Amino acid sequence: MKIPNRLARNARQFGTFAVFVVLCAVISILTPHFLSVSNLLNVAQQTVINAIIAVGLTYVIISAGIDLSVGSILAFSGVVMGQALGAGLPLPLAIAAGVAVGTGCGAVNGLLIAYGRLPPFIATLGMMSVARGAALLVTDGRPVSGFSESFRWLATGEVMGVPVPVLIMILVYVAAHFVLRRTKFGRYTFAIGGNEEAALLSGVPVRLYKLGIYAVCGGLAGLASVILTARLNSAQPIAGLSYELDAIAATVIGGTSLMGGRGSVVGTLLGALIMGVLRNGLNLLGVSSFIQQVVIGAVIIAAVLLDTFLKNSKR
Amino acid sequence: MKTSFLPLLVTVLAAGLLAGCGRQAKDAPDGSGRPVVALVVKTLNNPFFIEMQQGAEAAASAAGVQLIVQAAEREVDVERQMQIIENLIQRKVDALVVAPSGSREIVPVIVKANRAGIPVLVVDTRADAAALQAAGGQTAAFIGSDNYEGGKVAGEFLVEKMGGRARIAVLEGIPGHETGDARLRGFRDAIKDSPGMVIIASQPANWERDQGYNVFQNIMQAHPTVDAMFAASDLMALGALEAIAAAGRTGRITIVGFDALPEARAAVQRGAMAATVAQDPASMGRIGIEWAARILKGEIPPDEISVPIQLVK
Repeated sequence: MKIPNRLARNARQFGTFAVFVVLCAVISILTPHFLSVSNLLNVAQQTVINAIIAVGLTYVIISAGIDLSVGSILAFSGVVMGQALGAGLPLPLAIAAGVAVGTGCGAVNGLLIAYGRLPPFIATLGMMSVARGAALLVTDGRPVSGFSESFRWLATGEVMGVPVPVLIMILVYVAAHFVLRRTKFGRYTFAIGGNEEAALLSGVPVRLYKLGIYAVCGGLAGLASVILTARLNSAQPIAGLSYELDAIAATVIGGTSLMGGRGSVVGTLLGALIMGVLRNGLNLLGVSSFIQQVVIGAVIIAAVLLDTFLKNSKR
Repeated sequence: MKTSFLPLLVTVLAAGLLAGCGRQAKDAPDGSGRPVVALVVKTLNNPFFIEMQQGAEAAASAAGVQLIVQAAEREVDVERQMQIIENLIQRKVDALVVAPSGSREIVPVIVKANRAGIPVLVVDTRADAAALQAAGGQTAAFIGSDNYEGGKVAGEFLVEKMGGRARIAVLEGIPGHETGDARLRGFRDAIKDSPGMVIIASQPANWERDQGYNVFQNIMQAHPTVDAMFAASDLMALGALEAIAAAGRTGRITIVGFDALPEARAAVQRGAMAATVAQDPASMGRIGIEWAARILKGEIPPDEISVPIQLVK
């Protein structure tokens, strides 16, 4: 049982990886501007926000849930942090406040789902509207902008040639991969998504862990908002519209099953990179924006098709 | 083995798709040696920016430049617009003509373009002057209409048309959006000296047609006596127009819109709308491209190029 599973996982990740490599190869043949250090760093930086949000969604989706509220949570966290900075709170405290708001919103999702027995779709759909409204409310609809250079370093700084946001993304992925594969939290996440009833019967504190999973997802949206705010030098109450869909797409392209119980963080990173490379490449090629949307949609569908075929061929 | 065949199939498919895009795009950039100018608008699903695109396209060949037009899917997606411009900087375009989705949010990427030595012309919506200065950024010129002035023209028209007495509903754009805010400020300033002109409701409909419909329907429920409306964009006004028709009150509410979209002009002609403020997006696109070409030849543009406003009534 275990071995075929692992095989399937590797085959799937190989598939995602192959798509990624071929995509890069084709784009670099079509345009000379793609394969340069500055452009690749550019793509990496553009992928960071989606990639970090998608880590949270990977956990949620592996647990057979869904989170539609991350885009709104991102906006709410961002404006709270922006206002905290504006009010003169020290940098670390303001950032902590932003991440805490995200975690809090996620925890409320978790409470509603685990203890209130709401379907994740409904609970997070509600939160999507609540958090968006809260973001507009606290800012009166206006963006909060103009931050110190030390804060903006989070988006513009470099450590040994690597942009700080990319570094943060790498750290998040290393940690998330370790937690998913090597800790109880990770194993329980798979167990809940694979068969919640069985997990419960074998003594997994399902409710508590669900709460934790959604809190982590919200917290990561909060972290993404920190980077986005530093990048734009502005926290917008209307930021992050439809970011949940981008993150779900990255997760699904990366081979995480929407039915739960199956998935990987590495796949999600590849998924996010595929989306980033695709958008970058299409811009470099000067392709019309309308065709870009068609292509991105087609890639999402192709990736999931691939997933289905692989699953069926295993039987 | 089946499992290794299928990924291959999908990758080949994806590659084919991309190669198709490459071919499609081939005759636009690269090759001919003419300078490449990129026009980045807010979105291409708004007729206003399509007119701007058409104006730019018409000017491009005469000005001897190759034109790339790009936009985010959503008008408010400031991060996506930033990404597009970053990618165009990587592509080493010779000049950028940008309609910013966010006045302040555009500033970091203008600075990036400055560092890459690419001149930036701003059209339609201004980049925030204070934020630009603080960041040490520079734009070559601003080409657009004065939205404040446009709002004022609309307000003055409504005062005259209603004889100084009206119960007015206002449909606002996205809150915090410089364009909409300026239009509203102009409108309010124009009616503030007429005590009979009362704003009974002022609600955002986020530039969208369907929201214009819903929001105005709600306003009519709450304020049945409403007899005039100012919408900060025609799309919202056209949505409201449908709501008014559905309520059977066509012609009894005096509507002034903004943008002079073809559909709104038609509504003015048949009397469903009283007036709409005409900006001239095609000219903005045209002048933007023309000046980009002239800058590349070493000319220096004026800081501001004003595109005139007129009232279609």
